Amino acid sequence: MTGPLTPIGTSLKRTDGPSKIRGLEKYAADYYPANFLWADVKRSDHPHALIKGIDLSHVRGLPGVLAVLTHEDIKGANRIGVPEMDQPVLADQKVCYKGDPVVLVLAENKAVMQEALHKIEIDYEVLPAVFDPEDALAEGAPVLHENRSGKNLLIGGAIEHGNGMEAFQVCDAIVEAEFDLPYQEHAYLETEAGIACVDDEGVLEITASTQTPWRDRNELAYALGLPVDSIRVIAPYLGGGFGGKDGITVQGLLGLAALHSNGRPVKMWTSREESFLASTKRHPGRVHYRVGCKEDGTLHAVSCRIVLDTGAYASLGGPVLALAMEHAAGAYRIPHALVEGFCVYTNNPVSGAFRGFGAPQVLAGLEQIIDMLADKIRMDRLEFRLKNVVSRGDETGCGVWMSNSTGIIPCLEKVKEHPFWVQQEEWVNQAGPFKQRGVGIAAGLQGTGYGPMVADIANAKIELLSDGHFRIYSGVADMGQGNNPTNVQIAGEVLGQAADYFELLQPDTACSLPSGSSSASRTTYTFGNALKTAATILKERILTRACNMGLGIYAEDLLLSSGKVFHLTSGREIPLANIAASMSPEERISSYAYTAPVAKHPDSAGSAIRAAGFPHRVFAFACHLARVEIDALTGEVEVCDYLAVTDAGRVLNPQIYEQQVQGGAVQGMGYALWEDFRVENGEVLTRNLASYILPTSMDVPDILSLPVETVEETGPFGMKGLGEIVINLPLPAIANGVAWALGRHIFTSPLTAERILLTMEKRQAE
Amino acid sequence: MNSIFLPYKMGDLWEVKQKDPEAIILAGGTGLLVFLREKGLHPHTIVGLENLWELKQIEMQNGEIRIGAMVTHQQLLESPVIQAQLPGLHQAVTVLGYPPIRHMGTIGGNICTASPAGDTLPSLYVLNAVAELRTPTASRLLPIQDLIKGPGQNVLGRDEILYQIRIPVPSPSAVSFYFKVGQRKALAISVCSLASMLQVAEDEQTIVDCRFAWGSVGPTIMRFPGLEKNLIGEKLSLNKLREFGQTAASMVSPITDIRGSAEYRRMLVSNLPSKMLQTL
Ligand SMILES: Cc1cc2nc3c(=O)[nH]c(=O)nc-3n(C[C@H](O)[C@H](O)[C@H](O)COP(=O)(O)OP(=O)(O)OC[C@H]3O[C@@H](n4cnc5c(N)ncnc54)[C@H](O)[C@@H]3O)c2cc1C
Repeated sequence: MTGPLTPIGTSLKRTDGPSKIRGLEKYAADYYPANFLWADVKRSDHPHALIKGIDLSHVRGLPGVLAVLTHEDIKGANRIGVPEMDQPVLADQKVCYKGDPVVLVLAENKAVMQEALHKIEIDYEVLPAVFDPEDALAEGAPVLHENRSGKNLLIGGAIEHGNGMEAFQVCDAIVEAEFDLPYQEHAYLETEAGIACVDDEGVLEITASTQTPWRDRNELAYALGLPVDSIRVIAPYLGGGFGGKDGITVQGLLGLAALHSNGRPVKMWTSREESFLASTKRHPGRVHYRVGCKEDGTLHAVSCRIVLDTGAYASLGGPVLALAMEHAAGAYRIPHALVEGFCVYTNNPVSGAFRGFGAPQVLAGLEQIIDMLADKIRMDRLEFRLKNVVSRGDETGCGVWMSNSTGIIPCLEKVKEHPFWVQQEEWVNQAGPFKQRGVGIAAGLQGTGYGPMVADIANAKIELLSDGHFRIYSGVADMGQGNNPTNVQIAGEVLGQAADYFELLQPDTACSLPSGSSSASRTTYTFGNALKTAATILKERILTRACNMGLGIYAEDLLLSSGKVFHLTSGREIPLANIAASMSPEERISSYAYTAPVAKHPDSAGSAIRAAGFPHRVFAFACHLARVEIDALTGEVEVCDYLAVTDAGRVLNPQIYEQQVQGGAVQGMGYALWEDFRVENGEVLTRNLASYILPTSMDVPDILSLPVETVEETGPFGMKGLGEIVINLPLPAIANGVAWALGRHIFTSPLTAERILLTMEKRQAE
Repeated sequence: MNSIFLPYKMGDLWEVKQKDPEAIILAGGTGLLVFLREKGLHPHTIVGLENLWELKQIEMQNGEIRIGAMVTHQQLLESPVIQAQLPGLHQAVTVLGYPPIRHMGTIGGNICTASPAGDTLPSLYVLNAVAELRTPTASRLLPIQDLIKGPGQNVLGRDEILYQIRIPVPSPSAVSFYFKVGQRKALAISVCSLASMLQVAEDEQTIVDCRFAWGSVGPTIMRFPGLEKNLIGEKLSLNKLREFGQTAASMVSPITDIRGSAEYRRMLVSNLPSKMLQTL
């Protein structure tokens, strides 16, 4: 039976929904191959120490223990990471954070595993450690990676635009503040997991929860000393990623284990505690802002100093810093800017990619400063923004050129006309006893893709099967956001097929084509473009072949529809299966490589920052509004209503769009109010979900999502990336609402009830 | 190998306990299983109470409400008796855990866990609840505050279980409250909580009786009968409640932990009584 067509712009039900709901869809953690062994690691107890010796004598003979491996068992470079390959699969000379893996154990079951891990003895010489990034930059600080000329500075640089600092002299109003931003833990439902084995042909096959199957394969080849073509990485649907699986998590350990398992499959699956300890986090940071404007409200100068703590290893710290710097002037036309950034090694857990990728940290600060400046010159906070935001053709304060669709003004206008904004005073004044209310807004942007120096390419592949159905070889992992189901909608639109005419394969380096990571708001944008063209090519082939088969003379007289080709004037048709039968297998496969456009202008940033991804070309925009109520007796904040207006281009699927907005806003609210991943002297204090406070459904309001549908000419069907812009603004919008309610800003987040009550109490004392 | 017993009769329970006095009692398991995992313990014998129907009853008898130890939080939530007679306790279970925990966790487990953060405890303290404990051969009654000795400590003997809780039906004119400050609205361990019961005279102002019990700010639930007495005869006002809260705050020595600082907890001790005026 043929289902209805679901054109672009309608809510094709998620094709992954039924199998996920019924528990049939297998995530990496769900695989239990026959005769498998568990793999797990002994991790470092010290934040910084030399490894003097490893005593495995009590472990090697243990019944049920198959192998005990150290760095000495690794044939390759034993380094992973992108772009900086500085993280060992197993620590060799030293450990750099509490949690660094040192010894890998393969065991028959978990009880034996526990015993083995317990009995491994590692002799350490403890080294002085450094936990604050500013301290780590100071002369004489303990150095983590001796081979680096910049000592603990992973990457640093500046973006200068206009006259930089001098411009402050002619400002009529200036405000300055320093913001402290916390870690954020991805806390995906599926902790890091995977299985691996070496097949009969000697190919190492890894099925893992990963956003980056293609990159993983290259990194694994280097780290483990294998040719790339003897590694296969399969990326099933992920049980969440958010950036935490943007790179290798357990894959290196799994690969190493499978090379020493006597041909048996191995499985690794971290506990929540281990995941919290060893997975990357959002970079905590300190952001110091100074912003000045003219008395008429024209923004004139901005300076921003960003310090990010990347922890023991680089991970994606460089690109995160570059993105933070690029977004530091927000979506504002500011003629003069100086943005300095430092991403610094410390002996803390590793920070890396997290939805928003540096932008949430800076926009948290900037959007509060903008409110403070508007208040200072007594201008309406929304009008102040409207007066200064970019239109297409403008440059942001960082000199980034808005060459493509730019919908920030319509976003602001939608908020401006919404009752939440129009009736703000009335609503605030209706607060009940011991309640204080405020309404906050924030506006911002998010770049799409990798920037100018990293090829942002997707290779799509689609096949007409012999039965007349189509198979899409998704090249980019789907961590739950629904990009791969959207592939069905895109190909369905081009090929005129209903969703049930498609088979959807998840990324597999053995059969799909390299298409980059599921990250950077580029997933549907880049792969969708490639798929759209690949499908168009296949369509032309099918129609031409139908002409060859006598259905008509010109392809334009033919209509491709679900399962068949029609001749419009005669009403005759040929089933697609018949057409497929007349095509060679190669003809039935179409592939296309799409390269995302990049911005070559400006080069105001140093080469390191450019190499790390500055600047972007295509941006999404948003304006968020939060109505908040504080309980004056407890400090608890309730977000009563929330409005998210987003310009992510055309909406391909309203339901998936809505899910992204809701999920992103909630994750952003978590960042704003509750999620406080605490690390003290390199030790994780919030060890699991009992103490790391994620919002529940009881804690968040219904979120009203209004799209502003600009048409992004370079995006498939006019769309652009949505996944990240949605998380950038809840913190500043809520913080601005809280500031209204309290009469002062709190510069340290999250805005926990405790922090708020202490602030109120201090205020009373003053 | 460990054994798990799920007896249907009290007699079978005692038999298991006699064979293995170290046998661990399992009620809903929501506290115990977390505890065992955390400590890496693998007890030899576990005996579950889930099939003992006599432990699952809520009854009114002789001016007393009797709640079996195995009554789940969800049962309390749905019980018309609890809703009508013990609204403070009812409020406590609405903010306890989240639905799965409320369906599995029991009042007996909550009491025996003896956590200062246990959400049913402050209400049980202000209700002057009495615990009935049983051994194979005897039963005894203990006021709730005498059952709980300290954080995680109760006075249950080796072969003794908590059988039921008895609560005198409060005066119909009493109003009761439960305020819980957790780090979020559901699935939160309390940072500070307050149960209170208040009776005002017909002038709707003069306090005739009042009881207050704070959770999470000391080794056990904190009550200050001396302070309560001072309020009796006073007119109910924000100032009085503030003053009362401040005095109580000066008498507690809460700890700082991952959920909150001592300073914050102290402020909550001081502020929570005023919350009654938000609700009244
Ligand atoms: C996710 C989660 C959220 C939670 N949230 C809350 C919350 O918000 N508020 C709160 O107060 N608690 C909370 N808890 C803790 C726990 O759920 C409650 O304390 C619950 O009431 C325990 O009851 P139980 O029946 O599960 O006890 P169990 O875990 O079965 O038992 C707890 C202890 O009491 C002993 N015991 C139980 N019954 C008896 C008896 N009749 N006689 C003698 N000994 C007995 C057991 O041996 C064990 O030592 C939470 C727990 C989890 C896992």
